Amino acid sequence: MRFDVVVIGGGHAGAEASRAASRAGFSVAMITLLADSVGRMSCNPAIGGLAKGHLVKEIDALGGLMGEATDRAGIQFKVLNRSKGPAVQGPRAQCDRDLYAAAVQDILNREPNFSLIEGCVARVSLEGVRVTGVILEDGTAISCRAVIATTGTFLRSLMHSGEHKVVGGRFGEPSAEGLSGSFRELGLSLGRLKTGTPPRVLANSADYSKMAPQPGDDRPRPFSILTDRIELPQILCYMTHTGEFAHDLIRQNLHRAPMYSGQIQAAGPRYCPSIEDKVVRFADKAQHHVFVEPEGLNHPWLYLNGVSTSLPADIQDAVVHSIPGLVSAVIARYGYAVEYDFVEPQQLDPSLQVRGVEGLFLAGQINGTSGYEEAAGQGLMAGMNAVQLLRGEEPVVLRRDQAYLGVMIDDLVTQGTLEPYRMFTSRAEHRLLLGCDSVYERLSPLARNLGFLDHERSRRTALRKERSKALSQALDEVTLNPDRETNQRLEPLGISLNGPGSLSRLIQRPAFSLPAFTEALAGWTVLERVTSIMAEASEEEIDGVVNRIRYAGYVEKGEREAARLQSEEGVRIPVDFRFERPGLSREVVEKLNRIRPHSLGQASRIPGVTPAAVSLIRMFLRQQSRSLERAV
Amino acid sequence: MSTPALDTIVAPATPLATSALAIVRIDGPLAHSIIKGLGAPKDLAERRAVFVRLETAEGPLDEVIVISYVAPKSFTGNDLIEITCHGSPLIVGTLVKEVIDRGARMAEPGEFTERAVLNGKLDLVQAEAIGDLINSRTTLQAQLSLSNLGGTLSRWAGEIRADLLFLIARLEGALDFADEGYTFITDEEAMRHLDEDLARIRSLAETARRGRGLRDGLTAVILGRPNAGKSTLLNHLCGSERAIVTPTPGTTRDLIRETVIVGGLPVTFIDTAGLRTGGELVEEIGQFRALEAASKADLVIWLEDSSDPDLTDVPSEARDAILVFSKVDQKAAPPEGLGISARTGAGMTVLWERLDREVRDRFRPPEGSPLIVNARQEREINEAGDALRQARLGVSEGLSEEMILVDLYAASSAIGRLTGAISSSEIQNEIFSNFCIGK
Repeated sequence: MRFDVVVIGGGHAGAEASRAASRAGFSVAMITLLADSVGRMSCNPAIGGLAKGHLVKEIDALGGLMGEATDRAGIQFKVLNRSKGPAVQGPRAQCDRDLYAAAVQDILNREPNFSLIEGCVARVSLEGVRVTGVILEDGTAISCRAVIATTGTFLRSLMHSGEHKVVGGRFGEPSAEGLSGSFRELGLSLGRLKTGTPPRVLANSADYSKMAPQPGDDRPRPFSILTDRIELPQILCYMTHTGEFAHDLIRQNLHRAPMYSGQIQAAGPRYCPSIEDKVVRFADKAQHHVFVEPEGLNHPWLYLNGVSTSLPADIQDAVVHSIPGLVSAVIARYGYAVEYDFVEPQQLDPSLQVRGVEGLFLAGQINGTSGYEEAAGQGLMAGMNAVQLLRGEEPVVLRRDQAYLGVMIDDLVTQGTLEPYRMFTSRAEHRLLLGCDSVYERLSPLARNLGFLDHERSRRTALRKERSKALSQALDEVTLNPDRETNQRLEPLGISLNGPGSLSRLIQRPAFSLPAFTEALAGWTVLERVTSIMAEASEEEIDGVVNRIRYAGYVEKGEREAARLQSEEGVRIPVDFRFERPGLSREVVEKLNRIRPHSLGQASRIPGVTPAAVSLIRMFLRQQSRSLERAV
Repeated sequence: MSTPALDTIVAPATPLATSALAIVRIDGPLAHSIIKGLGAPKDLAERRAVFVRLETAEGPLDEVIVISYVAPKSFTGNDLIEITCHGSPLIVGTLVKEVIDRGARMAEPGEFTERAVLNGKLDLVQAEAIGDLINSRTTLQAQLSLSNLGGTLSRWAGEIRADLLFLIARLEGALDFADEGYTFITDEEAMRHLDEDLARIRSLAETARRGRGLRDGLTAVILGRPNAGKSTLLNHLCGSERAIVTPTPGTTRDLIRETVIVGGLPVTFIDTAGLRTGGELVEEIGQFRALEAASKADLVIWLEDSSDPDLTDVPSEARDAILVFSKVDQKAAPPEGLGISARTGAGMTVLWERLDREVRDRFRPPEGSPLIVNARQEREINEAGDALRQARLGVSEGLSEEMILVDLYAASSAIGRLTGAISSSEIQNEIFSNFCIGK
């Protein structure tokens, strides 16, 4: 068998990688252990959230599928951080997990260049330093020019529930044992991480009257530019909390939790801590939130977000039964922790290709990340870069001031990670430029130029761009006069005009609010030019234009800072630059040689590389370019 | 691309002017062979003053002392030759040209120091302090540059930066974990930190003012009505006949300056046209200049003629002025006033003591305090202050954390650049551009 690209794994990274490569016209074989589990949400039934929602929007702007699948499976949409500024608001959707996997599988199956093979890859075949294919455990050889490994938590994975240990990557699914060895043979160093899940309970055993209902937004906002409207019925989630009884119980039984008994030695995520971790680390907190999330429209289970645990079953029962609303809940599946191998990502280039092995790309949890969105984003970039390699073109590397995806990959390949890496807005120093409402302007042209954007997305992004331009022009040009009608209409906004001014000026007033403004506009004939454009545009588009005007001062500050940093950080370090120099300590040289930074900025982010060392490298580069100039 | 071989550079290390002696430096792999080609012995001793008769193709050039350094034991870390020749610009020029003819090139400004940095002999902060030392105008300034080299400024700035990071971490937490129900910091607490940091920055900025006094000296303007004796006072202060003294009121029409050291700092005294209404146009322009100079001055002396019966109101430009009564040999000063007589010299010692105290109290940095010595550092601290005021405004207006954080990060980077914790090519260029060729 022969394909252009082989994708190992059918999770969120594998799906995006396969979609991107087949969309660009290359033949793709996805090899997965279980065909049914392609696109499965193995942990919480939700997509997006703070910073993660940004990733999903970026994926959508680059032609990825995660946003589309979410819109087709979403049963509760909510923009988080509404009280904060627009750049850090993150969309999130609760999904029906069965519909989600079905949507992913449907999208992939529509790609003419896509094939699905059920099997387990034993090793990657090489010729010298080039990938030539993969060999399956049953001996089948598949040849290809690029391999994208997206094996998630399945490398030498071990599940822990209390004192019980089971070999396997996910409940009821086998572990991929051979590949780890194959990666070791390539000289890659592997680390070990752990992640965990909370217990699931039967939906009909919960008492919702004891919990606080958590509704979604009134008007669900789709993730994908392809979606006009969310079709599925929208449901409620619930919130409840743990209490002192459960905390005491957990404290008394810590010795039975694998993370504390020493049974698991790998590092877990500090950011998505297990309930055992929370009780130990936030000892003074009397309660911890528990979000009760349906797993689907008709799914029999509830997901207890916030109480991830690997304690033994009897303790899990007691803890769950102490939570208001879950006193007589029946646990359908106990929480467990998974321990797995990951490849230390500093061994990758920013294209996600393994340094020194042409054609081998890694994406997703195998690189030490956590979360569907992080995995999908890497899968997409690895898929695009496998295509660029096969085309003989430059890899696509997004800058830190261009996308959260750029931040994530730069962090991984430059700094590595000691715990499962999760995206946060705090990781993105240029986040004011990276709001969800600007992804199509920022990223779609790039994807379109490289042939990764479908026709419909191209059409819609172009339309959106035109409309946004027309709207911001109209807001600049349409002027209000301080007459009686105007001030009457503006009264609900708490604004009264003393002199004429454009709508843009109005938007910049502190008291301005978009919903009140939209209401004031209704039937206001002098403003028809504005209202007619707004009627065509999506809520997100209008937000984008208004926010750009409203926060222009901060955005410009951010842009100036980004430009300043770019001139600083953009300085390229030649591939064959020697770091062994007087003045640079052996330790620093070792780190630089391990990461081989491409730019001064990347060098400055390597842990342990001091500002003084960066100064020296800059001076060496300057001296070098000066003497080259003289030689000319 | 391989590293191009290090080349050899040459430059005079002393100013090109007629003087007793001048020094020329040669740095790089050819340094030793070039000096030997110019007549130095083959077995030129290391780190010793060696007498050499320099010979060129046109004949003998000069009798000089050569000191030879061998890499890495030199200021730059490379092979280095220092030639002390006679201080004629012609000899220095010919010598440099001969060295260039033998394969060296003219050094760029600061290139010797840059080479020292590249070879790990100095770090950038030390290089900057060396630049400040070279440019010092008083011994006090030199001492303070050295104290910064020892880390006084870095320690202060480090404390502000640590507190900013404390705030940043909490505001970031509030953004990242908005849904968890934790309170990371209250507005009041954030405000308190910002106010404390602003106070610290203000006191650093205050040292910048003092630092500027050290660097550029102070100005003291003598103001007063016509014929109060301003020019006579200037002459007394400066010990010369710089200003024309005549009994005709309004003789001084333009500003006259003279510099003397007071309280360890260079102080430039400025004599001005007398302030009165009426008079010629030229005089009016002079009066305008006088007031303008006073508003920019570090010190103002308001001179009042104690023999003049109607004492005037002091103009607003001179509100904080040192009040001095002149001509006390004719009529005694009011009991609270500082009286002098230029003719008899009475009161001048008291005036000197007063000036000395003013300079020390207001402009001389206290012992052991950090000091912002150069313009780059002053700009960074002001940028940090501006950003923090913006952040404070953001908190008081209830802006969302990510906007406030923009300003906090800006403040924190400015302070990082101040101490060298953040490096940038801009900073490097600025540091080395303060050097002249040959340093």
